[in-house]
Formats: sequence, structure tokens, C-alpha cells
Amino acid sequence: MNRISDRILVGLTWLSGIGMCMVVTGLLLFLIFHGIRQITPALFFGDTPWLKAITGQSPVFDGIWPAVTGTVLLVFLSSAIAVPVGVASGIYLAAYASSRQRAFWGSMVDLLSGTPSIVMGLFGFTMILFLRKTVNPTAQTGLFLAAVCIALLILPYLIRTSQAAIAGISTHLRLIGPAAGFSKWQNIRHVLLPLASRGILSGIILAVGRASEDTAVILLTGVVAQTGIPRNIWDKFEALPFRIYYLAAEHRNATELEQGFAVALVLLFLTGFLFAIAFLLNRYAENRWRIRRYQ
Amino acid sequence: MEPAVVISNLEVLFFGKAVLKDIHLSLWPGRITVLVGPSGSGKSTLLRAINRLNEFFPDCQTRGSVSLHLQNQYHGDIYQNTIPLSDLRRRVGMVFQTPAVLPFSIEKNITMPLQVTVGLTGSALTERMTRALQEVALWDEVKDRLKSSANTLSGGQQQRLCLARVLALEPQILLLDEPTASLDYKSAARIESLLLNLKERYTILAISHSLSQTRRIADRVCVLRQGQLIQEMDRNDMADIRTFQGLMEAAF
Amino acid sequence: MLKINPPEKWIETGLFMAAVVSAVAIVSILLLLIYFCLPLFSGNGLSRVFSWRWQPIDGQFGILPMCAGSLALSILALGIAFPPAIGICTLVHVLSRGVFARIVLILTHFMTGIPTVIYGFVSVFVLVPRIRSLSEAGTGFSLLTAAITLAILILPTIVLVCYTRLEQLDPVLRLASAAMGFTPIQQMRHVLMPAATKGVAAAAILGLGRAMGDTLISLMLAGNAAQFPGSLFTSFRSLTAHIGLVVATDSQSLAYQSVFAAGLVLFLLVAALNLIIRKTDNRITANAFLRVQETRHEQNF
Repeated sequence: MNRISDRILVGLTWLSGIGMCMVVTGLLLFLIFHGIRQITPALFFGDTPWLKAITGQSPVFDGIWPAVTGTVLLVFLSSAIAVPVGVASGIYLAAYASSRQRAFWGSMVDLLSGTPSIVMGLFGFTMILFLRKTVNPTAQTGLFLAAVCIALLILPYLIRTSQAAIAGISTHLRLIGPAAGFSKWQNIRHVLLPLASRGILSGIILAVGRASEDTAVILLTGVVAQTGIPRNIWDKFEALPFRIYYLAAEHRNATELEQGFAVALVLLFLTGFLFAIAFLLNRYAENRWRIRRYQ
Repeated sequence: MEPAVVISNLEVLFFGKAVLKDIHLSLWPGRITVLVGPSGSGKSTLLRAINRLNEFFPDCQTRGSVSLHLQNQYHGDIYQNTIPLSDLRRRVGMVFQTPAVLPFSIEKNITMPLQVTVGLTGSALTERMTRALQEVALWDEVKDRLKSSANTLSGGQQQRLCLARVLALEPQILLLDEPTASLDYKSAARIESLLLNLKERYTILAISHSLSQTRRIADRVCVLRQGQLIQEMDRNDMADIRTFQGLMEAAF
Repeated sequence: MLKINPPEKWIETGLFMAAVVSAVAIVSILLLLIYFCLPLFSGNGLSRVFSWRWQPIDGQFGILPMCAGSLALSILALGIAFPPAIGICTLVHVLSRGVFARIVLILTHFMTGIPTVIYGFVSVFVLVPRIRSLSEAGTGFSLLTAAITLAILILPTIVLVCYTRLEQLDPVLRLASAAMGFTPIQQMRHVLMPAATKGVAAAAILGLGRAMGDTLISLMLAGNAAQFPGSLFTSFRSLTAHIGLVVATDSQSLAYQSVFAAGLVLFLLVAALNLIIRKTDNRITANAFLRVQETRHEQNF
């Protein structure tokens, strides 16, 4: 009886493992099959010569260049806000906070990371409403607001990875600095941070990946389907994931649909690439300081 | 008398590197054989070769043969699958250095393995559990709180519970990997006296780091160094503490 | 005499300020949502928003269908994702330790990196037509479509949290159960899973929270009709999608307020799940950032 149910269970586990592999490869093959032929300069720049498009001399109408720029700007801005705060916060939690403080501030980080991205977007949107009511009646959603909200979204990743990278350093490495007469900050700055750098970096890259794929936040904070490259950081913008979302629902013809597949593939390449770097860095970081213990 | 375990020409490799080589060893019922040797000499690996637990580690290869003779039945080389893995491990009980209690109640620690591997139920199950707990002299201490978590027991009690769990499966061979290493003096003494009581009915192979303990319990001592058995001693060699210490020092 | 160096103190203060940012953010999100929900508490706003009818033209702004939609969707998605997730954990933890397990683990990690919008996009063209032909009536944009896709989205999270938790168990536990003659699947069923129950439960709740908080999948695949999700093949709308839809299309003020109410409900639901996770298993952070755990053992020879 038990033997039979055990056999069935073993069969089911293999089925779920193989099934998952098939889903992922199926998804990749499907996208590649439909999208790979569309990945051409025309996809990015439409009819505009690429040099003029990149230098901003002439606007791009048919291509996804504005969406690429929008996503890059968004990622850059939000990382510029979130990375210093996140890493500093991680250092504080790992090296300064008492265990009670760590539990308290840590639970705030967990709450933040559990907050749905649409609520983060709604937060941005309500801030604009609030500003309109109080100091600035003409406040508008735009790139900067989206970047702030995305920064809040990726902040927990940054905090937790930096915290884990520092807390994971073994005790005897931690004691080297103080034993040599380093102050607390000197020890962090010259021993702990260099040791934890790869772990922190992999966290930053994962956060960048998260920032570049999120759609729900920007949906409420200023992304639009067609606007060109934003003129300043208060302007509306385009973004790759929004482009995919938009094309899935609103494609007018087969060409636009194929463009949708191609854009999805481009975004997947981008996030897949970031993911691979983070993966390798993280693995390298773990192996580098692992002390093998044999008895 | 027939030996219960015959190891011949055993070689064990981890990551392609030999941890044990050229091991020949026979174990007889009713006797305690103690393995001694410096750290990393392959003592645990030799123990695990007898219940094929080395296969738990993916990068391990075993060559040579380990034959078992259980209950007047000759099983031949266990590495030729002459006995199902699950049966083998039930017949060859193992106790670990740190008490490996399962995170369940005291009762379930003993009954669950019996239910799963032997399929025992009902009164037979209760009876077997009671007997096992009595055998390790734990019954009186825990009979009123069988349902409470095994983690509430002291270290010594936990180790005795582990021994009871192994005995309940009715093994013929016991492998003890430094069973008293994590215990205080008193608990260790209890385990030692238990082992001396049990040895009549089992074939016991133990690892010990304590020379005085080895002298107290061993009928035979095997010294392992760099993966090879370099010396054997019997009771006569241990009778005089001076000669024993001299022999051990030469061996290490 | 030890003199405290001022810069050291300033650095600590600076780092502390950074750590406070998350708390400030959380509190301001909550306060702003409450502030914009306040008008609801006057008059009969509250009863109009917490009702079952959403017909803005008739002045009906009930969000209860969306609450039901969110609950149905996330529970269904968890129900679909959980069994295979446990299966995959078992596979990579005890049954297959070789190349296949590594491939499965790497793919699982890779899945967490695939943008949500891509799952939605592919599903629109792969799953929707199949569900449509399955149900005969309806558009294929339905509860089942969204739940299956969402299940694929949350699957890797559940797998990785469970897997990490299993790897954290004392390795002696597995060794001991193997030494008693347990087959790998028996070790998993009778020792490892029971020992990791709390972690597994926490992983499931984490998956539920993920599913509840997701916007894109339901926005793209659920059809977005503001009605009670009566069957697997009906179109429905989740709270998250509701927020996105109403904010995107400018409408009257009470419609807006229903959005803030939806946001607040969502926030509180997810916060409650977060609290449950903490109570269940404090070793898991809801962050679910997972490091690559290698299938390696400490060995002693």
C-alpha cells in the first residue's frame, strides 16, 4: 500500500519537474519562433536612420527606441535613488542594529517587499493628487515619480542582499579588522564591504532586472504608449514592458503583433542577461569565502 | 563461529581520491570492535561502507566487497545488491555522533520508522517501542511524557532515544560513530554500560576518540591511519595501560 | 581616555537614516491611502463602496466583486502551483541529485527572472485560445486562464523558498533516516516534510501574497468584467486590475475613492499574510530573495 503510493508520488515528482522544464523551454521557443525574425534595426528605429535616432536629432515613430530609452532612464534613475539607500540600510541592519532593532526594521522591509507593485504605483499617483491639492496644482505623473516608486519597489531586494552578504561573512574574517585596531567603520569600509561586494553587486543587478520589468507601477505613474524620448525627468515616457502589454491588447495588424513578440524577446534577453550575471556573481561570491571543513 | 561482517579489499574514493584503501576486516557477533585513528583517517567512511551510507554523498565510489552473514543466512557482497538497500540499513543500525532525534514526539521517534520500514501497527508497535525504551533504560524516565517533543530530552537521553530507535528496528549489527562524543561524563558512562549489556546480542563496531573509553569497552581495537588499517589489538594488548599507551602512540 | 570620533557617529547616524527610509515609506503609503479613503467615512460612501454592484453610470461603485475576484484567483493559483512545487522540491532535494536536478534548479531561478508581462503576453496567444475552445462559450479571458498563468508565475517562488528551507534542515536528519532504511521518497514524506512543515506553509502563504499582489496577469487575462467570479470560465476583475483600470480611465470622484479603498484592502490583506508568515516561520523573510543553494554537503570522512 505504502509502496504503491510511494511509487506514484515519485512518478508525480518527476512529472512536475519535467513539466516545468517543458513550460520554460516551450515559452522560450514560442517567443523565439515568433519574434526572432523581427529583431532588426527597423524594430528599434523604424524609418529613422539609427545614428540620428541615437543622437536624438530626429524622433523615432515606428520603432521601440523611445521605449528602450525610457526603460534605461527609468532603471538608471531608480537605481540612483535606491542603491545608496538600500546598501546603507543593509549595512546598518547587518553591522550596527541590535537584534531587536534588526527584527523591527527588518519587519518594515518585509512589509515593503510584500506591498503589491500596483499599490506602490497608487502611492505615487496619490502623491500627485496630494501635491495638486496642496502646493502645486499642476503636478503631473512622469519619469521622476515613476523612478521614486520603482526605487521603493526594489529597495527591499537591495537591503536584504547587502544585509545577507555582510552577515554571511564568517566570524574569523570579521575579527581580523578589529584585531588590527580598526574602528567599526574602518572595518566595514576596508574589510567587510570588499568581502561582501560581489553579493551586494548581484543584488543590485537583480534589482535592476526587477526595475526594468515592472509594469504595474509605471502604469499609474506616467507611462504612455506614444510620446517619444522624454525631454526632462518630469515628462511622460515610454517603456518596454508597457509596450508589450499595450501590443498584446491593442495590436492593429499582424506586423504590430510580430513586433510585440520581438519586443518581448528583447526584454527577455535584457532581463535574462542581467539574471545570468547576478547568478554567476552570487555563486562566485559564495564559493570564494566558503571554508571547507573536514573532520 | 562465522563472522557477521567480512570486509575484503575495500577501497572508497571521494572525488576520485582514495579515503580508504586495501581494507580487510571481519567482525564477530558478541564482540565490540573499536576503531581509533587520527581525524580524517577514514573511520566514519569505514562505518558507512557497511550500511552503504557513503552512497548518500554523490561523489563517492566504492570498490571491493562487504559480505554479511545475518541470522544464519549468508547474504554475500552487499555492493552486488544481494540485499535490498532498505533492508540492509534496517539490519545494520547506526548511531551518530550528535543525537539525531527527529523533530517529533518521543513516541513517534520510535514508532514512525517502524511503521514506515517494517509496516508494524497496533499493539505490536506499542510493545516494540516499550521494549526498545526499556532496553536503553529510558522507559521510566519518559513513560509519562511519550507525547512530548523529543527535543525536550537532555543530550544523554536523546542519544539513548536514538539507540532505542535503532534497536527497535531489530538490527544485528550496530555501527556507532562516536556515540558519546557530545555527551557529558555521566551520560557517556551510561551509554558505555548499555553497550556492554547489549554486546551479547549484537555485532558492534564503534568509533571512539577516548583511549580510556576504548580500554573500557573494546574487545578488539583497530587502528586506522591515512585510510589503511595499520594495527589490531585484542584484550591482552590492552590489559596493561603502559603497553597499551605505548602501542597507541606508535600507531598514531 | 577613549575619545569618540565624531565621523564614526555621523556615519552610524547616516546609515540609520537609510534604514528608516523603508519604515517611512510604509507608513506614508498607509497614511496617504487612509487620507484619500477618509471621504468614504462620511455619508453612505462606505456602504456604496463595499457593495456587490459596480455600475459607475448608475452611481454604483461596489468593489466586493473585485475582492472576491482577487481571493478566488490567488487561492486557485496557489492550488494549481503548490502540488507541483512540492514535487519539484522533492525531486531536486532527495530524488535526483545529478545534472537533471541542477538544470531544474537553474531553470527555476531563471523563471523568477522572466518578466511578468511576458508570461501574460505568451498566455494571451497560447492559453487563451485553448481555454476558449474548452469552454465553448466565452472569450477565453477567464478565471482559469489567469489562474494557470499566475500559478506558473508563483511556482518558482514557492519551490525556492521550500527548497532553501529544506536545505537548512540539519543534514544529520536525512542521514539518520537513510541509515534507518528509509527510501528517498520515504525520507521526504515522513521526516523532512514534517520537519519543515512551517517553512512549507510559509512558502505557500508567500505564494498566495505574490498571487494576490500581481496586476499584470489578471489585467491581461481575466477579461476584467466587474462581476462575481462564478465559474472557472467567467471573466472577472481583481483588485489590482481594478486599480489599474480606473486610474487609467479618468472618471468620477467616487470611482477614484473606490480605487483607494481597493488599494487599502489590498495593502491590509498582504500585510496580514506577511504577519502570518512571521508567526509561522520567522526564518523566512517575505522578501524571498533567494540565493543559489548548491547541492553540496559538509562531509566528514
